Amino acid sequence: MKTLRPELEALSDNALMVKVRDGDVDKLGLLFERYKRPLYGFFYGMNKDAELSEDLVQNVFVRILKYRYLFRGDGDFRTWMFHIARNVNHDHFRKNKINAKDSLESWEERLGSTENRSTQFQAEEEMQLLSMAMDQLPDDKREILLLSKYQEKKYKEIGEMLGCTESAVKVKVFRALQELKEVYRKLEAKY
Amino acid sequence: MNRFDMNTMKRDLIEKFRAGLLTQAEQHMLESMIEKEEITLEELSLENLQDKLIAIEPPVPSMDLDHKFYAMLAMQRKSTSSLNWWSQFKIPTLVPRFGLAAATLLIGLAVGYFLRPTSDGAEMSKLSEEVTSLKEMMMLSLLEKESATDRLKAVSLTQDMDQASQKVTAALIQTLNHDDNVNVRLAALDALHPYVKDSSIRQELIRSIAQQRSPLVQVALAELMVAIQEKSSVKELKKLLDDKKTPRDVKKKIEQSIDVLI
Repeated sequence: MKTLRPELEALSDNALMVKVRDGDVDKLGLLFERYKRPLYGFFYGMNKDAELSEDLVQNVFVRILKYRYLFRGDGDFRTWMFHIARNVNHDHFRKNKINAKDSLESWEERLGSTENRSTQFQAEEEMQLLSMAMDQLPDDKREILLLSKYQEKKYKEIGEMLGCTESAVKVKVFRALQELKEVYRKLEAKY
Repeated sequence: MNRFDMNTMKRDLIEKFRAGLLTQAEQHMLESMIEKEEITLEELSLENLQDKLIAIEPPVPSMDLDHKFYAMLAMQRKSTSSLNWWSQFKIPTLVPRFGLAAATLLIGLAVGYFLRPTSDGAEMSKLSEEVTSLKEMMMLSLLEKESATDRLKAVSLTQDMDQASQKVTAALIQTLNHDDNVNVRLAALDALHPYVKDSSIRQELIRSIAQQRSPLVQVALAELMVAIQEKSSVKELKKLLDDKKTPRDVKKKIEQSIDVLI
């Protein structure tokens, strides 16, 4: 990770993106440092493919650069960025017509491997099961929960991104959590 | 529905939800109440589940992502700077620049035209006239000098004048006819060459032929008459042929000149 000067760290996302838009492309590095992990988390949560997720994060920043002139500066940068991230994700799967590997099988494979047990599943069992449950959700429900996680429950902003009202987002989140809870219970009974 | 009934229904829905016993109609009602913010996710114990989900640490990408990103950024910076350089020559950039340059030039020319120093031009021509006048005065005064060199200088001064005045040409003819020095007379004849188109000067030159005693001047005048094809000079040239004092070589030259003129 690059070392950043404190005065640059203090700049808001929007102020940085405005600088990028106006030609100071180096400032994109600061935004990258701030958001590479949430973006990677979002993509990895969607496809469970580390290499692909890194490529998709890269694609998001390529698009941010490409369409930087469209950033007006009056909206929230994070919302704009996740909007691009959603499009990148949808475009990738539409183009390649491949779905993420069956999540349950994937998890079972990993559970069966002692190596994975020791490296990847060091978190608490509850968190492991929750992650497994997430992977079994349909794409739209997993997406709304990931957006809610990385957008810090800003339902209004998520609504802008999805083209629906804040109340409608709450209902979508409810349905996703309801199904997550159900899957979690089943997994809990199984393992 | 009063508040009591509402609360009862809400509690009933929450309990059924927790037990996983909601009918389809009750599910719709629950969703409707969530939409209207009459029931929160917290009340359904879902907020807790969501917080747990949020608490899961996001995975960490490898350093490859950093490398790829900063390589892409470097490329972009390079292409942006080269783009800026080339953009100086792009047609959409050049057109307004040329337009501006042309407009500036035209404005400059117009301003220059309207602010041109008209009085200066008049002053310059006045000054030029004064200089010519001074030269004439100098020439006329030098012609009065005893020294042949001074008189030669006076004659040569007329060569610097664009257009000598009548006073000057008259002085040159006077010098041609009466100066004691042959060289001065020859110089005066040379100085009169540019004015031979003037008929009065040509007449003066013809009259001068008979007045010359120097063979050199006689021959020079005969050659000039041939050069300007002045046939009316034949009569005067014949006078020189009849004159016994005219040297034989000069007579020969004059005869040749008369032959050419006739």
